[in-house]
Amino acid sequence: MKVLKTIALGIIVPIAIFILWFWATETGRVATSLLPTLSMVKKAFIDMTSSGQLQKDLLISIQRVLKGFLFAALLGIALGTIMGMFSPIRAMLEPFITTIRQIPMIAWFPLIVLWFGIGEISKVIIIVLAAFFPVLVNTLSGVIQTPEGYLEVAKLYKLSKFKTFTKLYLPHAIPQILVGLKLGLSVSWMAVVAAELVAATSGIGFRMNDARSMMRSDKVIICMLVIGIVGILMDKIVSLLFGYLTPWQKVGQKK
Amino acid sequence: MAEANEDYIIKVEHLNKHFKVDKEELEVLRDINLEIKEGEFITIVGHSGCGKSTLLKIICGLVSYEDGEVIRNGHKVVGPGPNCGMVFQDHRLLPWLKIKDNVGFGLDHLTKEEKAITVQNHIDLVGLHGFENSYPSQLSGGMSQRAAIARGLANNPNILLLDEPFGALDALTRIQMQKEILRIQKEQKTTMVMVTHDIDEAIVLGNRIVVMSARPGEIKEIIKVSSAARKRNSIDFSQVKKKIYEYLFEESEQEIETDYII
Repeated sequence: MKVLKTIALGIIVPIAIFILWFWATETGRVATSLLPTLSMVKKAFIDMTSSGQLQKDLLISIQRVLKGFLFAALLGIALGTIMGMFSPIRAMLEPFITTIRQIPMIAWFPLIVLWFGIGEISKVIIIVLAAFFPVLVNTLSGVIQTPEGYLEVAKLYKLSKFKTFTKLYLPHAIPQILVGLKLGLSVSWMAVVAAELVAATSGIGFRMNDARSMMRSDKVIICMLVIGIVGILMDKIVSLLFGYLTPWQKVGQKK
Repeated sequence: MAEANEDYIIKVEHLNKHFKVDKEELEVLRDINLEIKEGEFITIVGHSGCGKSTLLKIICGLVSYEDGEVIRNGHKVVGPGPNCGMVFQDHRLLPWLKIKDNVGFGLDHLTKEEKAITVQNHIDLVGLHGFENSYPSQLSGGMSQRAAIARGLANNPNILLLDEPFGALDALTRIQMQKEILRIQKEQKTTMVMVTHDIDEAIVLGNRIVVMSARPGEIKEIIKVSSAARKRNSIDFSQVKKKIYEYLFEESEQEIETDYII
């Protein structure tokens, strides 16, 4: 019952928007070039999927995200751990990273386009830049918050630095690393769309901009919806990974 | 040298320890002399902050010392070793490891089969059979402490140091755990040194009780406990308890008296 109630409350706002939308377009109060009717959107969706164009664009964008994100994740986890375990390295890098982090991802565009052009590589670099920092910062904080008491246990059993990493720092940091990965994945999805909007010849962001230039607001809306849905799915996948990687937290919650 | 230490498994001589806190020297331990024989159960009581935990950590090798000499198993202590286990107050089981992996934490040098057998033996020893695959969060405080004791003993050390291991347990569980640790000590013949702030616990468990004064920690007295006195509610028990009370609270009682005079 409680679940049903939560769902019911959750869909009130979307339904209201759809009713408003329906009313505004069907009665001709808003020009369909600005806001298409629901049936136009549906038709555009069928057109785009039956021609395979939507899937193709989506695949290209997702591939870019995966390339950039995986690289950023590896780099962020590795550097975050090293910084967490060795305080001189942390002292050396932290001020620099904190400064760089203040630059919005979009502000990197001009320089990266100048250096790498508008090809694949520049998009992947943008994604790496966007996803790297959330992963790094969260890994670092997970590692440095490892309780002193646990480290004393490692000392007691004379664990090597590497064993201390695999048996203590890493498992302790995993929940927070996953938070970082979740954030990183969501910003890299945003980054790829932004990059494709600005400079690209393929991908979901490009398709959206292309549709805009042809005044196809129906297609723009389809792209937006798809971007949102893919974003949610990515988030859910990382959450699933979370439960799988931290079985001890699940039993803790049950109690 | 080795001959002289043969009788004593742990020997502390003229140990002094200072900590630097905010650039100020803090004297934690002053001239500690303590000799512990193999198979003994020593309890150390004192006010909180008297340095008793520090003393234990120095014997264990977790805290370094500069002034004095600490000998364990005939060698100067320079760091932790497999022949000396330690149990902490906050059990310090790693939440991401199952109980069997926590117990086997320091056993990486064994083969898989040897490790499994050793782990099982020690889980059985502390009465945790059936909880091998549980996570620490699923265990009660007493059970967690049992697991921590199993981990401390898994390496078959001849010394087990216990730092207020039952301090966070409720009164009934604590008494039960005291019985358990006595049984384990009888079975394993491990030399045990336990820090506690529970005077009853110190008497019930200790062959000898080391009474320490507040900061800087000094040994005020080492009290031998007869087996008669180790029974709760016996007259001998009360006498020992009274004696410890006097050592621990002589200063504060004087203060109270002066208060009344004023």
